Amino acid sequence: MGAFDALGIANSALGAHQTWLDAIADNIANINTVEPTSQTAFQATYVQFGADPNGGVEVTGLAKGDPQGRLVSDPGNPLADADGYVRQPDIDMASEMGQLVMAQRGFQAAVQVTKTAQDTYTAALQIGAR
Amino acid sequence: MSITPVQFPSFPTAPTTPTPVAGADAIAPSLTSTNGVSGPSGSGEEFGSMVLDGLDRLEGLNDRADNLAVQAATGKLDNIHDYTIAASEASVATQLTVALRNKAVDAFNEIMRMQV
Repeated sequence: MGAFDALGIANSALGAHQTWLDAIADNIANINTVEPTSQTAFQATYVQFGADPNGGVEVTGLAKGDPQGRLVSDPGNPLADADGYVRQPDIDMASEMGQLVMAQRGFQAAVQVTKTAQDTYTAALQIGAR
Repeated sequence: MSITPVQFPSFPTAPTTPTPVAGADAIAPSLTSTNGVSGPSGSGEEFGSMVLDGLDRLEGLNDRADNLAVQAATGKLDNIHDYTIAASEASVATQLTVALRNKAVDAFNEIMRMQV
């Protein structure tokens, strides 16, 4: 614990939300990635957060989505099997967009914390100044 | 709903004997000693080491911010906020060090202006 705890804690929040944003970007980017039924579908990444005992938040793990995905009939797809099925990732686009907003707002909130912290430090420096 | 009276804790009475101020013992011998030219006893060195520790820490923060700035310029920076936070910390720490330096210089000038 030091003089810049607020900045350090906000830094951890920024890092966690950055990881979350990266995971959402990966999920959305691969939402149309289809695989043949003989292989596993693209697995979405879900970030798990945990509280840091020393203050702040940390990414405790990256959970993976269902490897089964969704079987979709798409006979025209070159990856389709004999029955005309392909494996699409089991990603909910609406959920990902909602999480995208949450991650962005969380990141912005952490940025605001850093601004307020720096304003506070600057105010403390004014004590006794002439 | 019943209202229970609130019991305020009794305020502690002021101690009749003054408690010694921490650090006064360190200053007192130099104040009472007649051979004042022997220099400060202990407290002056502590302030000096404090300033040196602060400068070391400031140097570390500035080095970290500089390294991250180089990473940003060379495209090796993973997270933008790592650099901005480090730069903020270095900036505030520099301001704090400068404020302390100004205070020390002010105190020195105040002593130099003293009528002898």
